[in-house]
Amino acid sequence: MPNARVLRDIKARHGVNANEVLRRAYLYVARNQTLPAQVRFQAQLQLNTFGRYTRPTTVKNRCIETGRGRGVISEFGLTRFQFRLKALAKELPGVHKASW
Amino acid sequence: MAAVAPARLAALTRMRCEIFQTAYNPTSVRTGAKYLRARLRGPSMIRYYPDELTVAHFNRMPGGFKIQNWEEYQRLADVEEKKRRGKGVPKKAKSKAESRRMSRKR
Repeated sequence: MPNARVLRDIKARHGVNANEVLRRAYLYVARNQTLPAQVRFQAQLQLNTFGRYTRPTTVKNRCIETGRGRGVISEFGLTRFQFRLKALAKELPGVHKASW
Repeated sequence: MAAVAPARLAALTRMRCEIFQTAYNPTSVRTGAKYLRARLRGPSMIRYYPDELTVAHFNRMPGGFKIQNWEEYQRLADVEEKKRRGKGVPKKAKSKAESRRMSRKR
């Protein structure tokens, strides 16, 4: 069972996915300088009505294994310590401890 | 080197846009096109965490499986045992005065 922060992150991910197209449409209108200012302003107001978990910036890549939010090596989705453990256990293809 | 007239350069740019089918935007006005051009990031976002097969998920799958979840069973048994020994969850306070926070000495 993932911890609460991971569950929240999953919720945010699904919210972003569900609202992405609509948000993009509003963003296009709001940022388009060729449209009248009134229309752009209304689009910006609509953008502000979206919930917290619909914005892509609320999504954070957390550790797949432990749910830790810091020190995540993005290529593997693991924190540095989990990365070390898995690498030493030879569970990451192509990763081995440096020695020369 | 002979200077090229600005009108000629503008005509060249317009023709180039026509050939390569890009928007002719000499004054660089923000059209918001980048929000339409960018790929949708949602589908890859929801694939970040690998799917975990839990007992509860398995039981809800089509096929009518019923597997005993021993960890959950043990947890509930432990809770019952704690309740029996008077170590259970405290009663929810009905009023503000009853709450532990209020009665705590400073």
